Amino acid sequence: MEELLEILQDIDDSVDYENETALIDDHILDSFGIITLISEIEEHFDIEVDAAEMTPENFNSAAAMWKMIQRLQEN
Amino acid sequence: MAIYTNLYLLVFLPVVLIVYQLAPKKARWGVLLAASYALYISFSKYLVLLLMATSAFTWGIGLWLDKIGEACKAKQAECTDRKQKSEVKKEFQKKRVLALRVGVLVLLGILFYVNYLNFVIDNMNIFLGKLGTQLPLVKVMFPMGISFYTLEAVGYIADVYWERYPAEKHLGRLALFLSFFPQIMEGPIARYPDTSEALFAGEPLNMANLNEGFLRIIWGLFKKMVVSDRLSYLTTHLFGNYQDYHGSFIVLAAIAYTIQLYLEFSGSIDIVIGSGKLFGVTLPENFNQPFSAQSAAEFWRRWHMSLGNWFKNYVFYPITVSPMVKNWNKTARKKYGKYWSMVGTSAMALFPVWVATGVWHGAGWKYLFYGMYYFVILLFGVAMEPIKEKNYAKMGLDPNARWLKILRILKTWVIIFTGELFFNAVNLKAGFHMFFSIFGNFHISSLWKYWPNVITTGDVWAICVGSVIVWIVGFLKEHGVDVRGKILNARTPYKWSVYYLIIFAILLFGAYGTGYQPVDLIYAGF
Repeated sequence: MEELLEILQDIDDSVDYENETALIDDHILDSFGIITLISEIEEHFDIEVDAAEMTPENFNSAAAMWKMIQRLQEN
Repeated sequence: MAIYTNLYLLVFLPVVLIVYQLAPKKARWGVLLAASYALYISFSKYLVLLLMATSAFTWGIGLWLDKIGEACKAKQAECTDRKQKSEVKKEFQKKRVLALRVGVLVLLGILFYVNYLNFVIDNMNIFLGKLGTQLPLVKVMFPMGISFYTLEAVGYIADVYWERYPAEKHLGRLALFLSFFPQIMEGPIARYPDTSEALFAGEPLNMANLNEGFLRIIWGLFKKMVVSDRLSYLTTHLFGNYQDYHGSFIVLAAIAYTIQLYLEFSGSIDIVIGSGKLFGVTLPENFNQPFSAQSAAEFWRRWHMSLGNWFKNYVFYPITVSPMVKNWNKTARKKYGKYWSMVGTSAMALFPVWVATGVWHGAGWKYLFYGMYYFVILLFGVAMEPIKEKNYAKMGLDPNARWLKILRILKTWVIIFTGELFFNAVNLKAGFHMFFSIFGNFHISSLWKYWPNVITTGDVWAICVGSVIVWIVGFLKEHGVDVRGKILNARTPYKWSVYYLIIFAILLFGAYGTGYQPVDLIYAGF
C-alpha cells in the first residue's frame, strides 16, 4: 500500500489519498493521471490491467486500487 | 412529434402518464415501451423495425456472451490444476471476442451505412471522376436517434463482455432501455445500470417526482423558446450569408451560435430528464456549467457529458490499456523518459477518440476538423501540464489566484467559440473563410451600423435577459446554491409563483406563433 501511495503522490501530491473516496467521480484523478498510474502500477506490481478493470469503482480510492492490485496479483 | 411541441407536452405526455398510472404495476414497463415505439413511429415510421431488430440483436449477443461464460465456468470446474483452467479460459476467450466483434461490427456497420456511406462515395467519386467513372449514391432513410441508441447498445455489449453485469434475459427490458421515448432523439446516452431498474420497476407516480419533472421541463422550454429559438434567426442568417460579413459579425456569429446551441441542447435535455423524472426515472446529466471550465479538457467533462463518458469508457480506456499502446509505453519510457511516453500514449488514445467524436456529429470534413481541432488542443494541454506548473512556480504565481482563473475561463471561451464557428459553418471551406475574415476590417461599430434586420430589438432584449437569468442560475449552482432544489422545497404558494413566472415568460417571450417557425432540435439530426 505504501508503494501505491508513493506512486499516487508522484502524480499529484495535493490529494489526501488515504481518505479520498471519489478520485474518479469528482475528477480528482483525470484520464491522463490514469494513464500514468496504470503504467506505474503495472511496472511496480508486475500485473496486467486490462480494459475490464477500467471502472470508477476500481480507481475511486487508494484502498480500491490496492484491492484490485492484490486481486490481479493472485490471478 | 418533437419533445418541445404542444402535441408532446400537452397530449402525448399526459396520456402516457395517465395510462401508466392506471396500468397494473407489472404492465407499466409495457406502457412505456408502447409509448416509446409510438413516438418513434411518428418520426421514422417503419424504421421502428430497425430499432426493434437492433434491440433483439443486442439482446441476443448479450445472451451469447453469457452462454460462453457459463460454458467456460462449467469446463473450468472439471479442471484439476490452474494451468488447465487458464488454457480453458483462453479457449473460451476466443469465442467471447468473436461474439463481441460480431455485435460491435454489425451495430457500427448499420450506423456507418446510414450516416457515412454516401459521404465516402461522394469523396471517392472526386478521384473516380478523374478516371471517368462514378459510383452511384445510395438511398438511405435516416432512423431517428440511431447515433444515440447504437452507442448505448455497443456500451451494453462491451459491459457484458467485460462481465461488469450479466446479460439481460428479458428482451422487453433491453428494448425499453434502448428506446425510452424522452431519450431517443437527443440522448443522454445512458449505461444499462443507469436506468434499467427504474424503467422496469413500474413505481407509481408521486408528487415529488411530478414536481421535479415539471419544473425541469418548463425550465428547458424557457431556455429553448425564449433564448435559443430567437437566436437561431440571427445565426441562420449570419452563417447562411457568411460571405457578406466579416470582422465583428463573425465573432458575433460564433458567440451567438455557441449560446444558441448550449441553450437549445441543454434545454432539450432538461425536457428529456424532466420527462423521465415524471415516471421516477433518473437519466444521466449531460451538462455541468460548461462555460465555467478553465481548460478545453474540463469543458469536455462538463459539455455533452454522456457522450464524453461513453468515449472515455469504450474507446479511450480500452486503447490506453491495449497491448499495442502498453508495449509502446514501456519502450518509450526506457528510450525517451516518462514525459514523452505519457505524451505519446495520450496522443495514441486521444486521436481515435477525437476522430470518432468529430464524425459522430455527422459525415463531413468540418466535423472531422472539429474533432482534430480538439485533439490538438487537448494534446497540447497534456504536453504543457508539467511545464505550466514549473512556470507558475518560477514566476511566483498562485495557480488558484482569481484573476488567473478568470483568464483561463476566457481562454477556454475563445477555444469553444472558434470550435463552434467551424462546427456550424456551411462547410469546412466556409469555416476557414469565416475564421480568417475575423481579422480583416474588424470594427465593433459595424454591429450597429449594419445590423441585419432578422431579429428585432425585442428579440435582442429577450435573448439578453433570458441568457442572464440562465447564467445566474448556473453561476449559483457552480457556487453550491441549488436554485431548482430551493424552489422545489419552498412552500406551495412560492413554488407555484415560480412555475407561473416561468410559464408566463415562455408564453409572452417564447419564439412561437405568427412570424416564427418551429426550430428543430439540433442534436436530433446527428
